[in-house]
Amino acid sequence: MIMLIYAAIAIAFLILVIGLLQKPEPHNLDDAFGEKGCAPKIGNGRWLDLSERIFDPSDSRWLQEDLAFPKLAKELMVRRKRLAVQWLEALQASFDDLVRTPDFAPVETSETNAAGGWRMLWLTVRFKLLVSYALFVVRLFGPYHRLIPSFSWVPLSPASERSFRRAALAVDRTSH
Amino acid sequence: MHGVRGACPSLVGSMQNVGMVISLLAFALVGIVLARGIVGKCFRLFPLFYSYIIYVFCGSLMMYLVYWCDRQAYRTAFWFYYLVSILVEFTVLVEISDQIFRRFPAIRNLGRALTIIISAAFGLLYVLPAILWSPAGRAATLLDFALRASVTKAIVLTTLIIAARHYGLELGKNVAGLMVGFSIYLGVNVANLAAALLFGRVLYGNIFWIMVPTGYALCLLIWMIALWERSSVPNVGEVSPVVGGSSDAVALELTRFNSELSKLLHK
Repeated sequence: MIMLIYAAIAIAFLILVIGLLQKPEPHNLDDAFGEKGCAPKIGNGRWLDLSERIFDPSDSRWLQEDLAFPKLAKELMVRRKRLAVQWLEALQASFDDLVRTPDFAPVETSETNAAGGWRMLWLTVRFKLLVSYALFVVRLFGPYHRLIPSFSWVPLSPASERSFRRAALAVDRTSH
Repeated sequence: MHGVRGACPSLVGSMQNVGMVISLLAFALVGIVLARGIVGKCFRLFPLFYSYIIYVFCGSLMMYLVYWCDRQAYRTAFWFYYLVSILVEFTVLVEISDQIFRRFPAIRNLGRALTIIISAAFGLLYVLPAILWSPAGRAATLLDFALRASVTKAIVLTTLIIAARHYGLELGKNVAGLMVGFSIYLGVNVANLAAALLFGRVLYGNIFWIMVPTGYALCLLIWMIALWERSSVPNVGEVSPVVGGSSDAVALELTRFNSELSKLLHK
């Protein structure tokens, strides 16, 4: 049985390698965000403003609480959720496009700043982890859920809060 | 190296001769790959790979000398060389991982990081227990160790290809050839070592000593073809107009992306 498993591993591995080494299809950034005519670039202010609108729950609240249209509010949330996922995927695609930017400097020069290379790798991995987490939360809970859990449930008594403020004030005074 | 594995004194009859012929062929291929590297001045392009090839060439030569001069010492020398070689083969993986992402500053160290992390994790959790807590005899333990090390290398190689595929990177003939050759060698090794562990020396011994050099000779043949000429740099795609292909500008953009996403997460 073990022999069969290892033989299957060997064959699957070879097939996988040959299959994966086929020429990859070129990426098209515009596909990720449809025909919105708004290029998903981090320097694009309009595109960043769009995220403010997508992740802002006030419209949904207004429909639900002020106008008392819970069905419409729910419909809006579902559409915003789809938009939020699209927006995050476009952000990820835009980031991947940046990561694929080649360096035309000679390799010898590039090797001198190895520490910079590790830092850039950390930034790349960090972004990938954060965006995957954000996509997971949006898909599971919707666009209006807090992405970082709130710690408001931590039982801080008013007295202790006051003492924190006093301590902060004291520090502030001594620093002046 | 693996060419000499075929020359182990445990071989018998015609199988021994076939194994020896394939081993010598593999040794000749190592020599050709090395000579072609010298002629084509590829040493600077693939420093780790050629240092591995030099190690294999010198090691195989030493093993042949020991075999013909002192057959008593050969068995011990062979197993020592075999074990060291299993570890040295990781340099090929490091070379492949460096070559895949070399031109992309943001992920230049990704391949190396993946190789080190996966190798260390599998080494601790999967390979090391085979040596420390193996109830079988010494030969079976060594085979099990070699099998698990091969599986680990196969996993590293698969992960590297998936990562390259994820970013849509073209590999070029040289690197793709290195990967295909090494993966064929690993695939043959995994199946062969598993069969050797299952069927034992009596049933599988002779086939084993033919299959190992055959797999390695095939790998060397592909390496030789792939590295015969330096391939041109693969098409690396369009340069982002925002960064213009500078390493520092890429770093700045990466930081911007991270800070924008952090802002979004904190809302």
